[in-house]
Amino acid sequence: MKLLKQPVIMKQAPMNAVLYALLPLVAASVYFFGWRALAVLGVVNAVGFLSEYIFARVYGKKVSMAVFVTNFLFALSLPPTIPLWIAGVGIAFGIVFGKMVFGGFSKNIFNPAISGRAFIYASFGYHLSSRFVQPAQGLLGGLGRWSPGLDSLTAATPLIQLKEGVDISFLELLLGNVSGSMGETSALLIIITGVWLMFRKTASHHIVLPGLAGFLVFQSLFWLTGIDGVPAPHYALVSGSVLFGMMYMATDPVTAAQTTNIGRWIYGAFIGILTSLIRTFSIWPEGITFAILTANMFAPLLNYIITEIKKSRRSRKGADA
Amino acid sequence: MDTGFAAVAIFFAAIFTNNILLTNYLGMCSFLSVSREIKTSLGLGAAVIFVMASTSFLNYIVYHFVLIPLGLEALRFIVFIIVIAAFVQLVEMVIERVSETLYAALGIFLPLITVNCAILGVSLFMVIREYGMLQSFMYGLGSGIGWFLAIMAMAGIRQRLKKAQVPKGLEGAGITLVITGMMALAFMGFSGMISV
Repeated sequence: MKLLKQPVIMKQAPMNAVLYALLPLVAASVYFFGWRALAVLGVVNAVGFLSEYIFARVYGKKVSMAVFVTNFLFALSLPPTIPLWIAGVGIAFGIVFGKMVFGGFSKNIFNPAISGRAFIYASFGYHLSSRFVQPAQGLLGGLGRWSPGLDSLTAATPLIQLKEGVDISFLELLLGNVSGSMGETSALLIIITGVWLMFRKTASHHIVLPGLAGFLVFQSLFWLTGIDGVPAPHYALVSGSVLFGMMYMATDPVTAAQTTNIGRWIYGAFIGILTSLIRTFSIWPEGITFAILTANMFAPLLNYIITEIKKSRRSRKGADA
Repeated sequence: MDTGFAAVAIFFAAIFTNNILLTNYLGMCSFLSVSREIKTSLGLGAAVIFVMASTSFLNYIVYHFVLIPLGLEALRFIVFIIVIAAFVQLVEMVIERVSETLYAALGIFLPLITVNCAILGVSLFMVIREYGMLQSFMYGLGSGIGWFLAIMAMAGIRQRLKKAQVPKGLEGAGITLVITGMMALAFMGFSGMISV
Protein backbone atom coordinates (compact mmCIF):
# COMPACT_ATOMS: atom_id res chain seq x y z
CA MET A 1 0.00 0.00 0.00
CA LYS A 2 3.02 2.19 0.31
CA LEU A 3 2.92 2.69 -3.43
CA LEU A 4 -0.45 4.40 -3.32
CA LYS A 5 0.70 7.02 -0.84
CA GLN A 6 3.46 8.30 -3.06
CA PRO A 7 2.31 11.15 -5.29
CA VAL A 8 1.74 9.80 -8.76
CA ILE A 9 1.35 13.11 -10.50
CA MET A 10 4.03 15.73 -11.02
CA LYS A 11 2.70 19.22 -10.32
CA GLN A 12 3.13 21.77 -13.12
CA ALA A 13 1.62 25.21 -12.55
CA PRO A 14 1.47 26.37 -16.21
CA MET A 15 -0.42 23.21 -17.09
CA ASN A 16 -3.05 24.03 -14.47
CA ALA A 17 -3.52 27.43 -16.07
CA VAL A 18 -4.21 25.79 -19.44
CA LEU A 19 -6.68 23.44 -17.79
CA TYR A 20 -8.54 26.35 -16.19
CA ALA A 21 -8.62 28.10 -19.54
CA LEU A 22 -10.11 24.98 -21.12
CA LEU A 23 -12.98 24.68 -18.62
CA PRO A 24 -15.19 27.26 -20.39
CA LEU A 25 -14.67 25.32 -23.62
CA VAL A 26 -15.71 22.10 -21.88
CA ALA A 27 -18.83 23.85 -20.58
CA ALA A 28 -19.56 25.15 -24.08
CA SER A 29 -19.21 21.69 -25.59
CA VAL A 30 -21.71 20.30 -23.07
CA TYR A 31 -24.05 23.21 -23.74
CA PHE A 32 -23.92 22.73 -27.49
CA PHE A 33 -23.60 18.97 -27.82
CA GLY A 34 -25.00 17.38 -24.65
CA TRP A 35 -23.55 15.45 -21.74
CA ARG A 36 -21.95 12.86 -23.99
CA ALA A 37 -19.08 15.33 -24.33
CA LEU A 38 -18.18 14.57 -20.73
CA ALA A 39 -18.20 10.85 -21.45
CA VAL A 40 -15.71 11.38 -24.29
CA LEU A 41 -13.56 13.48 -21.97
CA GLY A 42 -13.76 10.78 -19.30
CA VAL A 43 -12.71 7.96 -21.62
CA VAL A 44 -9.90 10.01 -23.14
CA ASN A 45 -8.61 11.04 -19.73
CA ALA A 46 -8.70 7.50 -18.39
CA VAL A 47 -6.95 5.96 -21.40
CA GLY A 48 -4.45 8.81 -21.68
CA PHE A 49 -3.57 8.68 -18.00
CA LEU A 50 -3.20 4.91 -18.07
CA SER A 51 -0.94 5.00 -21.16
CA GLU A 52 1.36 7.50 -19.52
CA TYR A 53 1.23 5.77 -16.12
CA ILE A 54 2.39 2.43 -17.53
CA PHE A 55 5.41 4.01 -19.20
CA ALA A 56 6.15 6.30 -16.26
CA ARG A 57 6.26 3.27 -13.95
CA VAL A 58 8.88 1.62 -16.15
CA TYR A 59 10.92 4.82 -16.43
CA GLY A 60 10.63 5.44 -12.69
CA LYS A 61 9.05 8.85 -13.23
CA LYS A 62 5.85 10.55 -12.18
CA VAL A 63 2.96 11.14 -14.50
CA SER A 64 3.14 14.74 -15.74
CA MET A 65 0.26 17.14 -15.32
CA ALA A 66 0.71 17.80 -19.03
CA VAL A 67 -1.00 14.54 -19.87
CA PHE A 68 -4.35 16.00 -18.75
CA VAL A 69 -3.84 19.04 -20.94
CA THR A 70 -3.14 16.68 -23.84
CA ASN A 71 -6.25 14.68 -22.99
CA PHE A 72 -8.49 17.73 -22.83
CA LEU A 73 -7.13 19.25 -26.04
CA PHE A 74 -7.45 15.95 -27.85
CA ALA A 75 -11.01 15.30 -26.65
CA LEU A 76 -12.16 18.82 -27.49
CA SER A 77 -10.82 18.49 -31.03
CA LEU A 78 -13.08 15.50 -31.82
CA PRO A 79 -16.51 15.55 -33.46
CA PRO A 80 -19.33 15.15 -30.90
CA THR A 81 -20.48 11.79 -32.29
CA ILE A 82 -17.03 10.20 -32.11
CA PRO A 83 -17.24 6.51 -31.07
CA LEU A 84 -15.62 6.22 -27.64
CA TRP A 85 -13.24 3.48 -28.74
CA ILE A 86 -11.81 5.63 -31.54
CA ALA A 87 -11.21 8.40 -29.03
CA GLY A 88 -9.40 5.87 -26.83
CA VAL A 89 -7.26 4.55 -29.68
CA GLY A 90 -6.32 8.07 -30.71
CA ILE A 91 -5.19 9.24 -27.31
CA ALA A 92 -3.30 6.00 -26.64
CA PHE A 93 -1.41 6.47 -29.92
CA GLY A 94 -0.76 10.13 -29.17
CA ILE A 95 0.59 9.54 -25.68
CA VAL A 96 2.65 6.44 -26.48
CA PHE A 97 4.05 7.29 -29.92
CA GLY A 98 3.88 11.05 -29.62
CA LYS A 99 5.47 11.32 -26.22
CA MET A 100 6.45 8.28 -24.19
CA VAL A 101 8.73 6.62 -26.75
CA PHE A 102 10.89 9.74 -26.57
CA GLY A 103 11.22 9.44 -22.81
CA GLY A 104 8.18 11.32 -21.61
CA PHE A 105 7.30 14.93 -20.91
CA SER A 106 9.58 17.63 -22.38
CA LYS A 107 11.44 15.11 -24.55
CA ASN A 108 8.81 14.74 -27.24
CA ILE A 109 9.23 16.07 -30.77
CA PHE A 110 5.60 16.04 -31.86
CA ASN A 111 2.64 17.43 -29.94
CA PRO A 112 0.95 14.29 -28.55
CA ALA A 113 -2.61 15.62 -28.88
CA ILE A 114 -1.99 16.54 -32.51
CA SER A 115 -0.25 13.21 -33.25
CA GLY A 116 -3.22 11.27 -31.91
CA ARG A 117 -5.65 13.47 -33.77
CA ALA A 118 -3.77 13.18 -37.08
CA PHE A 119 -3.51 9.42 -36.62
CA ILE A 120 -7.26 8.87 -36.28
CA TYR A 121 -7.98 11.56 -38.88
CA ALA A 122 -6.01 9.53 -41.41
CA SER A 123 -7.25 6.13 -40.19
CA PHE A 124 -10.95 6.67 -39.49
CA GLY A 125 -11.78 9.40 -41.96
CA TYR A 126 -15.50 8.68 -41.99
CA HIS A 127 -15.96 9.06 -38.24
CA LEU A 128 -13.75 12.12 -38.07
CA SER A 129 -15.11 14.05 -41.01
CA SER A 130 -18.61 12.91 -41.95
CA ARG A 131 -20.43 12.66 -38.64
CA PHE A 132 -20.85 16.23 -37.47
CA VAL A 133 -24.19 17.37 -36.05
CA GLN A 134 -26.00 20.61 -35.44
CA PRO A 135 -25.74 21.84 -31.85
CA ALA A 136 -28.79 21.41 -29.61
CA GLN A 137 -31.24 24.27 -29.91
CA GLY A 138 -33.23 26.13 -27.28
CA LEU A 139 -32.29 28.05 -24.18
CA LEU A 140 -31.22 24.97 -22.25
CA GLY A 141 -29.17 23.78 -25.20
CA GLY A 142 -27.57 20.42 -24.65
CA LEU A 143 -28.01 20.58 -20.88
CA GLY A 144 -31.18 18.54 -21.10
CA ARG A 145 -29.89 15.80 -23.34
CA TRP A 146 -27.31 13.08 -23.50
CA SER A 147 -26.18 13.35 -27.10
CA PRO A 148 -26.99 15.52 -30.07
CA GLY A 149 -29.74 14.28 -32.35
CA LEU A 150 -28.28 11.95 -34.94
CA ASP A 151 -30.96 12.92 -37.45
CA SER A 152 -28.96 15.99 -38.39
CA LEU A 153 -25.86 13.94 -39.17
CA THR A 154 -23.82 15.71 -41.85
CA ALA A 155 -20.35 16.19 -43.21
CA ALA A 156 -21.03 19.84 -43.85
CA THR A 157 -19.33 21.86 -41.15
CA PRO A 158 -19.23 25.63 -41.66
CA LEU A 159 -15.84 25.11 -43.37
CA ILE A 160 -17.42 23.03 -46.11
CA GLN A 161 -20.57 25.15 -46.31
CA LEU A 162 -18.48 28.27 -46.76
CA LYS A 163 -16.56 26.50 -49.48
CA GLU A 164 -19.84 25.78 -51.25
CA GLY A 165 -20.97 29.37 -50.87
CA VAL A 166 -23.71 28.82 -48.27
CA ASP A 167 -24.50 31.92 -46.22
CA ILE A 168 -23.77 31.54 -42.53
CA SER A 169 -24.27 34.24 -39.95
CA PHE A 170 -20.99 35.65 -38.69
CA LEU A 171 -22.45 36.01 -35.20
CA GLU A 172 -23.38 32.32 -35.01
CA LEU A 173 -19.86 31.37 -36.07
CA LEU A 174 -18.40 33.67 -33.45
CA LEU A 175 -20.62 32.34 -30.67
CA GLY A 176 -20.21 28.75 -31.77
CA ASN A 177 -23.80 27.80 -32.47
CA VAL A 178 -22.69 25.75 -35.49
CA SER A 179 -21.67 22.18 -36.21
CA GLY A 180 -18.07 21.23 -35.69
CA SER A 181 -15.67 19.57 -33.27
CA MET A 182 -16.73 19.74 -29.64
CA GLY A 183 -14.48 22.45 -28.30
CA GLU A 184 -13.66 24.51 -31.35
CA THR A 185 -17.01 25.93 -32.42
CA SER A 186 -17.09 28.96 -30.15
CA ALA A 187 -14.51 31.36 -31.54
CA LEU A 188 -15.35 33.97 -28.91
CA LEU A 189 -14.60 31.73 -25.93
CA ILE A 190 -11.35 30.57 -27.52
CA ILE A 191 -10.25 34.14 -28.14
CA ILE A 192 -11.07 35.20 -24.55
CA THR A 193 -9.35 32.24 -22.89
CA GLY A 194 -6.47 32.42 -25.35
CA VAL A 195 -5.85 36.09 -24.63
CA TRP A 196 -5.92 35.31 -20.92
CA LEU A 197 -3.27 32.61 -21.46
CA MET A 198 -1.12 34.96 -23.53
CA PHE A 199 -1.52 37.66 -20.90
CA ARG A 200 -0.29 35.20 -18.28
CA LYS A 201 2.59 34.30 -20.62
CA THR A 202 1.54 30.65 -20.53
CA ALA A 203 1.00 30.79 -24.28
CA SER A 204 3.52 32.78 -26.27
CA HIS A 205 2.03 35.61 -28.29
CA HIS A 206 5.22 35.46 -30.36
CA ILE A 207 3.74 32.31 -31.90
CA VAL A 208 0.03 33.10 -31.94
CA LEU A 209 0.08 36.58 -33.48
CA PRO A 210 2.41 35.85 -36.43
CA GLY A 211 0.48 32.63 -36.93
CA LEU A 212 -2.88 34.34 -37.20
CA ALA A 213 -1.35 37.14 -39.26
CA GLY A 214 0.18 34.66 -41.71
CA PHE A 215 -3.12 32.81 -41.94
CA LEU A 216 -5.12 35.99 -42.56
CA VAL A 217 -2.68 37.38 -45.11
CA PHE A 218 -2.71 34.22 -47.20
CA GLN A 219 -6.44 33.74 -46.79
CA SER A 220 -7.03 37.33 -47.98
CA LEU A 221 -4.65 36.75 -50.86
CA PHE A 222 -6.56 33.68 -52.03
CA TRP A 223 -9.86 35.47 -51.46
CA LEU A 224 -8.84 38.54 -53.45
CA THR A 225 -7.51 36.48 -56.35
CA GLY A 226 -10.93 34.85 -56.46
CA ILE A 227 -9.99 31.21 -56.05
CA ASP A 228 -13.13 29.07 -55.95
CA GLY A 229 -14.57 28.42 -52.51
CA VAL A 230 -12.32 30.68 -50.47
CA PRO A 231 -14.42 32.53 -47.86
CA ALA A 232 -13.75 36.08 -46.69
CA PRO A 233 -10.81 36.13 -44.26
CA HIS A 234 -12.82 37.02 -41.16
CA TYR A 235 -15.15 34.12 -41.85
CA ALA A 236 -12.21 31.81 -42.39
CA LEU A 237 -10.76 32.82 -39.05
CA VAL A 238 -13.80 31.97 -36.95
CA SER A 239 -14.75 28.74 -38.75
CA GLY A 240 -12.90 25.47 -38.32
CA SER A 241 -10.27 25.02 -35.66
CA VAL A 242 -7.55 27.43 -36.66
CA LEU A 243 -8.04 29.58 -33.55
CA PHE A 244 -8.19 26.59 -31.23
CA GLY A 245 -5.07 25.03 -32.74
CA MET A 246 -3.13 28.28 -32.78
CA MET A 247 -3.91 29.28 -29.20
CA TYR A 248 -3.62 25.90 -27.53
CA MET A 249 -1.63 23.51 -29.67
CA ALA A 250 0.89 25.56 -31.62
CA THR A 251 1.98 27.24 -28.39
CA ASP A 252 2.97 23.99 -26.70
CA PRO A 253 6.41 25.08 -25.44
CA VAL A 254 7.95 21.62 -25.75
CA THR A 255 7.37 21.06 -29.44
CA ALA A 256 7.52 24.67 -30.70
CA ALA A 257 10.65 26.41 -31.86
CA GLN A 258 11.90 27.59 -28.53
CA THR A 259 15.25 29.29 -28.71
CA THR A 260 14.46 32.84 -29.75
CA ASN A 261 11.51 35.05 -30.54
CA ILE A 262 12.57 35.11 -34.19
CA GLY A 263 12.32 31.34 -34.17
CA ARG A 264 8.83 31.58 -32.65
CA TRP A 265 7.73 34.10 -35.27
CA ILE A 266 8.92 31.91 -38.13
CA TYR A 267 7.35 28.86 -36.51
CA GLY A 268 3.99 30.57 -35.94
CA ALA A 269 3.81 32.16 -39.36
CA PHE A 270 4.74 28.84 -40.97
CA ILE A 271 1.78 27.14 -39.27
CA GLY A 272 -0.63 29.91 -40.26
CA ILE A 273 0.43 29.96 -43.89
CA LEU A 274 0.48 26.18 -44.21
CA THR A 275 -3.01 25.94 -42.68
CA SER A 276 -4.32 28.34 -45.26
CA LEU A 277 -2.60 26.43 -48.09
CA ILE A 278 -3.90 23.05 -46.95
CA ARG A 279 -7.42 24.40 -46.47
CA THR A 280 -7.50 25.92 -49.90
CA PHE A 281 -5.74 23.34 -52.06
CA SER A 282 -5.63 19.89 -50.46
CA ILE A 283 -8.26 17.20 -50.03
CA TRP A 284 -8.66 18.00 -46.32
CA PRO A 285 -11.18 20.61 -45.23
CA GLU A 286 -9.08 21.75 -42.25
CA GLY A 287 -5.30 22.08 -42.26
CA ILE A 288 -4.23 23.12 -38.79
CA THR A 289 -3.61 19.55 -37.60
CA PHE A 290 -1.16 18.74 -40.37
CA ALA A 291 0.31 22.22 -40.33
CA ILE A 292 1.28 21.93 -36.66
CA LEU A 293 2.63 18.42 -37.17
CA THR A 294 4.77 19.60 -40.10
CA ALA A 295 5.98 22.59 -38.11
CA ASN A 296 6.86 20.29 -35.18
CA MET A 297 8.92 18.23 -37.59
CA PHE A 298 11.02 21.20 -38.73
CA ALA A 299 11.22 22.97 -35.35
CA PRO A 300 14.43 21.26 -34.11
CA LEU A 301 16.20 22.09 -37.37
CA LEU A 302 15.00 25.70 -37.12
CA ASN A 303 16.32 25.91 -33.56
CA TYR A 304 19.66 24.51 -34.68
CA ILE A 305 20.01 26.94 -37.60
CA ILE A 306 19.15 29.95 -35.41
CA THR A 307 21.64 28.98 -32.71
CA GLU A 308 24.35 28.43 -35.34
CA ILE A 309 23.71 31.87 -36.85
CA LYS A 310 23.85 33.44 -33.39
CA LYS A 311 27.09 31.63 -32.63
CA SER A 312 28.77 32.74 -35.82
CA ARG A 313 27.64 36.33 -35.23
CA ARG A 314 28.99 36.31 -31.72
CA SER A 315 32.33 34.92 -32.81
CA ARG A 316 32.54 37.55 -35.54
CA LYS A 317 31.83 40.28 -33.00
CA GLY A 318 34.46 38.76 -30.73
CA ALA A 319 36.97 38.88 -33.58
CA ASP A 320 36.23 42.56 -34.20
CA ALA A 321 36.73 43.58 -30.59
CA MET B 1 -1.61 21.49 -69.70
CA ASP B 2 1.33 23.45 -70.98
CA THR B 3 4.54 21.42 -70.59
CA GLY B 4 6.43 24.21 -68.84
CA PHE B 5 3.67 24.67 -66.31
CA ALA B 6 3.34 20.91 -65.90
CA ALA B 7 7.07 20.70 -65.18
CA VAL B 8 6.76 23.28 -62.40
CA ALA B 9 3.75 21.45 -60.95
CA ILE B 10 5.70 18.20 -61.04
CA PHE B 11 8.61 19.90 -59.31
CA PHE B 12 6.49 20.98 -56.32
CA ALA B 13 4.52 17.74 -56.26
CA ALA B 14 7.78 15.79 -56.04
CA ILE B 15 8.83 17.85 -53.02
CA PHE B 16 5.58 17.87 -51.05
CA THR B 17 2.65 15.75 -52.16
CA ASN B 18 4.70 12.86 -53.51
CA ASN B 19 7.83 13.14 -51.44
CA ILE B 20 9.96 10.21 -52.56
CA LEU B 21 10.94 9.35 -48.99
CA LEU B 22 7.83 10.17 -47.00
CA THR B 23 5.20 8.84 -49.38
CA ASN B 24 7.07 6.18 -51.36
CA TYR B 25 9.47 5.16 -48.60
CA LEU B 26 12.39 5.00 -51.02
CA GLY B 27 15.96 5.77 -50.04
CA MET B 28 15.49 4.70 -46.44
CA CYS B 29 18.85 3.00 -45.88
CA SER B 30 21.08 6.03 -46.19
CA PHE B 31 18.38 8.19 -44.60
CA LEU B 32 18.46 6.05 -41.47
CA SER B 33 22.21 5.82 -41.18
CA VAL B 34 23.38 9.30 -42.19
CA SER B 35 20.74 11.43 -40.45
CA ARG B 36 22.67 11.13 -37.19
CA GLU B 37 24.63 14.35 -37.85
CA ILE B 38 23.34 17.58 -39.37
CA LYS B 39 26.59 18.36 -41.23
CA THR B 40 26.88 15.01 -42.98
CA SER B 41 23.17 15.10 -43.78
CA LEU B 42 23.66 18.43 -45.44
CA GLY B 43 26.50 17.00 -47.56
CA LEU B 44 24.70 13.82 -48.52
CA GLY B 45 21.43 15.68 -49.12
CA ALA B 46 23.14 18.09 -51.50
CA ALA B 47 24.85 15.20 -53.28
CA VAL B 48 21.52 13.40 -53.66
CA ILE B 49 19.85 16.50 -55.14
CA PHE B 50 22.65 16.81 -57.66
CA VAL B 51 22.82 13.14 -58.57
CA MET B 52 19.04 12.72 -58.78
CA ALA B 53 18.54 15.72 -61.06
CA SER B 54 21.45 14.73 -63.30
CA THR B 55 20.70 11.04 -63.56
CA SER B 56 17.01 11.50 -64.27
CA PHE B 57 18.03 13.75 -67.14
CA LEU B 58 20.78 11.39 -68.37
CA ASN B 59 18.53 8.37 -68.07
CA TYR B 60 15.85 10.17 -70.03
CA ILE B 61 18.30 10.68 -72.88
CA VAL B 62 19.61 7.14 -72.70
CA TYR B 63 16.11 5.68 -72.58
CA HIS B 64 14.58 7.72 -75.37
CA PHE B 65 17.54 8.01 -77.74
CA VAL B 66 19.28 4.68 -77.21
CA LEU B 67 17.02 2.06 -75.65
CA ILE B 68 13.77 2.79 -77.50
CA PRO B 69 15.32 3.04 -81.01
CA LEU B 70 17.11 -0.26 -80.35
CA GLY B 71 13.99 -1.85 -78.87
CA LEU B 72 15.79 -2.69 -75.67
CA GLU B 73 13.33 -1.20 -73.13
CA ALA B 74 13.49 -4.42 -71.11
CA LEU B 75 17.11 -3.68 -70.28
CA ARG B 76 16.29 -0.36 -68.64
CA PHE B 77 16.87 -1.60 -65.07
CA ILE B 78 20.43 -2.63 -65.77
CA VAL B 79 21.20 0.31 -68.01
CA PHE B 80 19.84 2.86 -65.53
CA ILE B 81 21.94 1.37 -62.74
CA ILE B 82 25.05 1.49 -64.92
CA VAL B 83 24.43 5.14 -65.79
CA ILE B 84 23.87 6.03 -62.15
CA ALA B 85 26.96 4.13 -61.00
CA ALA B 86 29.17 5.76 -63.60
CA PHE B 87 27.84 9.19 -62.73
CA VAL B 88 28.31 8.69 -58.98
CA GLN B 89 31.88 7.55 -59.63
CA LEU B 90 32.45 10.81 -61.43
CA VAL B 91 30.92 12.88 -58.62
CA GLU B 92 33.05 11.04 -56.10
CA MET B 93 36.22 11.93 -57.97
CA VAL B 94 35.18 15.56 -58.14
CA ILE B 95 34.30 15.79 -54.45
CA GLU B 96 37.59 14.16 -53.49
CA ARG B 97 39.40 16.87 -55.42
CA VAL B 98 37.29 19.80 -54.26
CA SER B 99 36.55 19.10 -50.63
CA GLU B 100 38.63 16.62 -48.66
CA THR B 101 36.52 17.15 -45.51
CA LEU B 102 33.21 16.47 -47.20
CA TYR B 103 34.75 13.41 -48.84
CA ALA B 104 35.91 12.11 -45.48
CA ALA B 105 32.59 12.93 -43.82
CA LEU B 106 30.52 11.17 -46.44
CA GLY B 107 32.89 8.21 -46.46
CA ILE B 108 31.19 5.02 -47.50
CA PHE B 109 27.84 6.72 -48.10
CA LEU B 110 28.90 8.45 -51.25
CA PRO B 111 29.46 5.23 -53.23
CA LEU B 112 26.27 4.00 -51.57
CA ILE B 113 24.30 6.65 -53.45
CA THR B 114 24.64 4.25 -56.36
CA VAL B 115 22.38 1.80 -54.63
CA ASN B 116 20.12 4.45 -53.10
CA CYS B 117 16.82 3.07 -54.30
CA ALA B 118 15.30 6.56 -54.46
CA ILE B 119 17.61 7.45 -57.35
CA LEU B 120 16.76 4.39 -59.41
CA GLY B 121 13.15 4.91 -58.36
CA VAL B 122 13.10 8.41 -59.82
CA SER B 123 14.37 7.15 -63.16
CA LEU B 124 11.81 4.36 -63.24
CA PHE B 125 8.90 6.60 -62.26
CA MET B 126 9.98 8.92 -65.04
CA VAL B 127 9.50 6.11 -67.55
CA ILE B 128 6.22 4.84 -66.05
CA ARG B 129 4.67 8.30 -65.92
CA GLU B 130 5.91 9.15 -69.42
CA TYR B 131 7.53 12.46 -68.55
CA GLY B 132 9.13 14.67 -71.16
CA MET B 133 12.76 15.80 -70.96
CA LEU B 134 12.16 18.97 -68.94
CA GLN B 135 9.62 17.23 -66.75
CA SER B 136 12.05 14.40 -65.99
CA PHE B 137 14.72 16.85 -64.97
CA MET B 138 12.31 18.82 -62.76
CA TYR B 139 10.99 15.61 -61.25
CA GLY B 140 14.52 14.50 -60.38
CA LEU B 141 15.38 17.90 -58.96
CA GLY B 142 12.17 18.08 -56.93
CA SER B 143 12.56 14.57 -55.57
CA GLY B 144 16.11 15.37 -54.57
CA ILE B 145 15.02 18.50 -52.73
CA GLY B 146 12.22 16.55 -51.07
CA TRP B 147 14.68 13.93 -49.90
CA PHE B 148 17.02 16.67 -48.72
CA LEU B 149 14.27 18.34 -46.67
CA ALA B 150 13.30 15.04 -45.07
CA ILE B 151 16.85 14.12 -44.08
CA MET B 152 17.57 17.61 -42.74
CA ALA B 153 14.41 17.59 -40.60
CA MET B 154 15.33 14.15 -39.35
CA ALA B 155 18.90 15.22 -38.57
CA GLY B 156 17.56 18.18 -36.57
CA ILE B 157 15.23 15.93 -34.65
CA ARG B 158 17.96 13.40 -33.90
CA GLN B 159 20.23 16.18 -32.73
CA ARG B 160 17.57 17.06 -30.18
CA LEU B 161 16.96 13.41 -29.33
CA LYS B 162 20.46 13.15 -27.90
CA LYS B 163 19.01 14.75 -24.77
CA ALA B 164 15.94 12.53 -24.77
CA GLN B 165 15.67 9.25 -22.92
CA VAL B 166 14.62 6.81 -25.58
CA PRO B 167 14.08 3.30 -24.22
CA LYS B 168 17.03 0.99 -24.89
CA GLY B 169 15.20 -1.27 -27.29
CA LEU B 170 14.11 1.61 -29.49
CA GLU B 171 17.42 3.41 -29.80
CA GLY B 172 18.85 4.02 -33.26
CA ALA B 173 16.87 2.66 -36.17
CA GLY B 174 13.77 1.93 -34.09
CA ILE B 175 13.04 5.45 -32.93
CA THR B 176 14.11 6.82 -36.32
CA LEU B 177 11.48 4.70 -38.03
CA VAL B 178 8.84 5.84 -35.53
CA ILE B 179 9.72 9.46 -36.27
CA THR B 180 9.71 8.79 -40.01
CA GLY B 181 6.19 7.46 -39.63
CA MET B 182 5.12 10.64 -37.86
CA MET B 183 6.77 12.73 -40.57
CA ALA B 184 4.91 10.78 -43.23
CA LEU B 185 1.69 11.43 -41.29
CA ALA B 186 2.46 15.15 -41.29
CA PHE B 187 3.14 15.12 -45.02
CA MET B 188 -0.24 13.48 -45.63
CA GLY B 189 -1.61 16.97 -45.11
CA PHE B 190 -0.25 17.94 -48.52
CA SER B 191 -2.16 15.22 -50.33
CA GLY B 192 -4.36 16.38 -53.14
CA MET B 193 -2.67 19.75 -53.52
CA ILE B 194 -0.86 18.93 -56.76
CA SER B 195 -0.64 15.63 -58.57
CA VAL B 196 2.33 14.21 -60.43
